[in-house]
Amino acid sequence: MNKKRLLISVFATAITLGLMVCPTMAKEYLIFDRPLNLLGYATQGAGFSLSDRDRFDTEKGLQSALTNLFVEADYKISDRLKFYTSERLSVDWVYPLKHNDSSWHDKEFNRSRKNLNVDDEYWQILNEAHFTWVPENFLFRVGKQVVSWGETDGFRLMDQINPLDTRRGFADVEFENTIIPIWLIRSEYYPRITTTWLQDLGVEFVFNPNADFIPNQDIQLGNDQGGIWAPNIRFDDVDARLGSGAFQNVKEPGSFSRKGHEYAFRVKGVVKDTIVTLNAFYGKENSPIVKFADPLNPFPEVTIASDGKAIIHPGFEGKFPRFRFVGMTASKDIGFLKSQALGSVAPVLRLETFYAFNNTFTDALSVPFSQNTFKEFDEFRLAFGFDWKVRIRPLNQRAFFFISPQVFYRRIGGFSGPDPSGPVDWFDTTLTRMGKHNWTTSLFISTVYLNAKLTPSFFWLHDQEFGSDFFRLQATYDWSYNWRFTLGALLFSGKKLPGEENSTFKSNNSFDLFKHKDQIFFKITYKWG
Amino acid sequence: MNIVKRFLAGFLLIFFSLLLMTSVGSAQKYELGFEKLEDYKKPIDDPAPFYKNIEGFKKIMPADVYKKVTYDVDAMKKAWAEVVGFKAPDVVGKIAPEIKPGKYTYKDKEKFPFDKIMWKHLYDRFNAPASSGPRHVCNFTEIEIVPTRQYYHSLPVIEATKKHMDTATQDTQGYLLQESYKAGFPFPRPSGPFKAMQIMYNWDKSYNLDGEFYWEHVYGYTKDLRNDYEGMATAYTMRLQGRVKWEPLNWLDKRAQDQRESKVFQYMSFAPRDLFGNVINVTSYMDPNKFDLFLMYINSLRRIRRLSASDTQDPAVGQDMIYEDWQGFNQKLTPKRFPYRYDVIGEGEFLVPITWDGSPYMSTKEGYILKNLQFERRPMWVVQMTQMDRNYIYGKRVFYVDKEILYHVHIENHDQKGRLYRTYDTLWGFIPEMGTYNQFHTLALDHVDTHSTAYHSYSYPALWLNRGDVSMSGMIKMK
Repeated sequence: MNKKRLLISVFATAITLGLMVCPTMAKEYLIFDRPLNLLGYATQGAGFSLSDRDRFDTEKGLQSALTNLFVEADYKISDRLKFYTSERLSVDWVYPLKHNDSSWHDKEFNRSRKNLNVDDEYWQILNEAHFTWVPENFLFRVGKQVVSWGETDGFRLMDQINPLDTRRGFADVEFENTIIPIWLIRSEYYPRITTTWLQDLGVEFVFNPNADFIPNQDIQLGNDQGGIWAPNIRFDDVDARLGSGAFQNVKEPGSFSRKGHEYAFRVKGVVKDTIVTLNAFYGKENSPIVKFADPLNPFPEVTIASDGKAIIHPGFEGKFPRFRFVGMTASKDIGFLKSQALGSVAPVLRLETFYAFNNTFTDALSVPFSQNTFKEFDEFRLAFGFDWKVRIRPLNQRAFFFISPQVFYRRIGGFSGPDPSGPVDWFDTTLTRMGKHNWTTSLFISTVYLNAKLTPSFFWLHDQEFGSDFFRLQATYDWSYNWRFTLGALLFSGKKLPGEENSTFKSNNSFDLFKHKDQIFFKITYKWG
Repeated sequence: MNIVKRFLAGFLLIFFSLLLMTSVGSAQKYELGFEKLEDYKKPIDDPAPFYKNIEGFKKIMPADVYKKVTYDVDAMKKAWAEVVGFKAPDVVGKIAPEIKPGKYTYKDKEKFPFDKIMWKHLYDRFNAPASSGPRHVCNFTEIEIVPTRQYYHSLPVIEATKKHMDTATQDTQGYLLQESYKAGFPFPRPSGPFKAMQIMYNWDKSYNLDGEFYWEHVYGYTKDLRNDYEGMATAYTMRLQGRVKWEPLNWLDKRAQDQRESKVFQYMSFAPRDLFGNVINVTSYMDPNKFDLFLMYINSLRRIRRLSASDTQDPAVGQDMIYEDWQGFNQKLTPKRFPYRYDVIGEGEFLVPITWDGSPYMSTKEGYILKNLQFERRPMWVVQMTQMDRNYIYGKRVFYVDKEILYHVHIENHDQKGRLYRTYDTLWGFIPEMGTYNQFHTLALDHVDTHSTAYHSYSYPALWLNRGDVSMSGMIKMK
C-alpha cells in the first residue's frame, strides 16, 4: 500500500510540474471534429499552527502540506450529447515530511497517514464522469455527478443529495475536494409554460440507484484517525479525552440494494422575478447515527497519550437512518432596500427551509440519562441570508463591498410528536448535541482591489447554542490568469462549558473542540484552461 | 415505499411519453466552437482577413439561412440614405482636406494635421508604443485611409425604421415613452431639444446582437504589458420585442409580450478556468425602471443564483469594464436611477477605423500594436452625458457616435473627480450583404490604474435560437 501511495504521489508531482511548463494544454481541441475542452488546476498549500504551546491535539509548526491536482475534460459529442469527466488527486506531504518527527509520532498523527496521506480510492480519483443528453425540453444526466440544491453557503440544509468530505476540517479546500460526486440518474423537463406571473418552469427528478454507497467522509475522532483536525473532546472531570472509535455493525446498504435507493424531486421556476423551488427528498442520511455497541462497556479500550491523559476509545454501532423531507427555496432581490447612501444596490434574499419527518437522534453521550438508544423526532430547518453590495468609499474607492449575513435555525421535535426537552441529551449524526432550538449565524465580507486581482475576505461562523466561533481571514491575489496566491488564517474560539449541568454530564462541543487548531495557511494555485 | 416506486415508474413513463411526443424537428444549429472559428483567424498575431475567409459567414451558414439574412446591397444603400437623409461620402472631406486616402505612419503627424480629425485619445494612440513606464496596448503606427464608404443596416431594419419614423415620442424630460416605440431605430434623424437623448435611444434600441451567436476572446494586460488575463466566452443574444429580421416577428412569444421583455443575452464562459461553465442569463425589460432579471449558473457551486440586477458598477473579473459598459453602453435611461443631463457638445468628421475584410490584428511581437487598420472619414456627433448622482462610479460619459451607422465608436468615462477613468473603443466589422456589424475588436482601457483589455469578437445570425435556448433550461444545457 505504501509503495502504491508513493507512486501516486510521485506521479501527481510529475503531472503537476509537466502541466505547469506546458500551458498550451489550455485550449480547445477537436476530436472527431467535435470540441474537447481540457482544463484544471494544481494547488500546493501549507498550514502552520498558531498555537502558543505544545498540546496533544495540535502540532506546532507545519501541520499540512496539501497538493491537489484537478483535471477536467468536457467533450461535446454532438449538439445534444456531451461527456464530462474530472479526475482529482490529493496528497498531503506532511506525512512523509514528518515521518521522523518525534512529536508527530508521540501525538499519534502519523497513524492517520492511511486515511489522509493520499486519497487513492477510485471514487476519490475519479471525481465526476457523466453523459448529458439534452433533447428538446429535456435533460438527462447519467453517471457520477453532483446535484446541488439550496441557496445558502456554508450551511447544508437543502443540499443533501451528495455526501461531503470534511476530513481535512476547515482547511482551505476547493469545492471539488469537498462535495463527493456519486452515481446518479438525473432528469429534467422544462415545459414551455408562459403566464403573466410564471417566467420559467422546470421539473427535476434524481434517482440514486446506490451503485456504490459512499457516505460522508467526516472528521474522525482521535489523532490516529482524524489527523490534525481530530476534535479535542475532553472529559475534564476525569482528565481524559475521547479517542478514535471502533465502529461495529454500521450497516451500509449494498450496491444497488433497494435499501440504498434515494429519490429527489424538485420543481423550480421563476415567479415574478423570484427563483422558487419546491423540493422533496427520500433517502438516507449520509452519516451514520451511532450508539454504544456494549452499553455496559462503552469504552472497551483505554490508552495513555504522550501528555499523560487517558484516551478512551468508544465502541460504536449504528446505521444510516432514513432521511426524508419536503421543503422550498426562494431567491429574490429586495428592491425597496436599495439605498443611495450605500450605492443603490438592492440586496438579494436567499431562503431555504424544509420539514423532515422522523429524523433519528441518539442519546448515547447523554450521561447519566443515556438509554443508549435511538429516537425519532420531526425536524424543521430554516436558513436565510442576504447578499448585499455596499459602497464604503473610505475603504475602497473603486469597488463595492460584498456583505452576506446568514442565519441557520434547526428546531428539533415538538410538533405532533416528542421533543428533545428533559434531562436526556440528544445528538445528531455528527455527535453534535441538539436542543429544541438551535441557531447558527454567519457573516461573509469581501471586496476587490487592483482591478479585481486582490480579494480580501472575512468569514465568521457563530454557534449560538455553544457560544463558539470560527473565523477565516483570507486574501487572494491573481497574479495572472494562471497563477493565484492565497494567504489566510483560521481562528477558533469557544466557551468552556461546565462539566456538569442539572446533574447531567456535558462535554465540550462545537468550535471549542478546535480551539487549539488556529493556523495560518498559504496556497499557490496554478490554473489552466 | 411501494408508493414511491409507483411514483417513480409513473414519472419516468410520463417523461418518456413527453419525449416521444415532442417534435423532433428543430432548426439546424451552425454554432462553431473556438477551434473552428480560430481556424479562420487567430485572435492575436494573425493578419488573416476573417470576413473574406469566411465569406461574410456564408461558409458556415446553411444556404437557406444565409439567403434569409442577406439582402440586395443597392436596395439597402438607397433605402437607408432616404431614412437618414444623406450618404456619408457626400458630407465628409471638409476638415483637413489635405489628408487624402493613402497610407500614413505616425511620423506623418508632423506633416499633417491629424489632430483635427482624430479625437485626442485616438491621436495619442497613433504612436510608437512606449518601451517603458506605465502604458496601454493597442497603439498603432501605420494606417491606411480609404475613401469614405456608405453604411447601412439590414433591409428589414430599414423598412421598420421607415415605417415607424415619427411614432416614437418622448416625455417632457426627453425620456422615451416606451409604448410608443414599435421597431426600427426610433430617431434616425435626431433633432430638437432632446437630440442628445434621441441619439442615445438609437443605441438603446439598436439591432446590434439582436439574435446572434456571439464569440469573444479577451486579453488583459498590466501597465507593463504583462498578460494577466485571458478569457473566452460565447453568448446567445435575442431581441424579444420589435423583431423584424426573421420569424417570429414583433414579439418573440406571448411571455415576452406579457412581461414586456425587450432582450435577453446568455453568456457562457470557457476561460479562465475559474469561470469555466459559468452561465449568465440577463433578461431586460422595456420599462427602464424595472431591473433586469439576472440569473447566473455558478459552475463551481453547481447552482443557479439570482443576482441583484442593480449590482452594475463593479468591474468584470480581470477586465476594464463594468456591467453597464457592456457593448459600450448598457445603462438604462431613466430619471429614477442615476439620471444624466444629455448634451450634444460637438459635431464633425473624424477618422474612424472600420474593417470590411477582418484583417486587423494585434501584434504582440511588435509591442502589442494594432495593424492592418483602415480608417475613413465619418460624420459624427459627440454626446456628453453628465451624471446627476454623485454616487455613481462615472461623473461624465462622452460618446462619439456615427451619424450614418448610429453606433458609437469611442466612449470616454470620467470618474466623479473629473479624471479620465475608462475608455471604450470599438473597431466595427461590417458585413455588407447582411447590413450588420460586429464589434470586431474592442479596446477597454483603465487610465487610472493603467490596465488594458482587448476583445476580439464575432457574431452572426443564429436563426436556430428559441426561447428554450435563452431560459433556465438553456442555461443548464449550455453547461
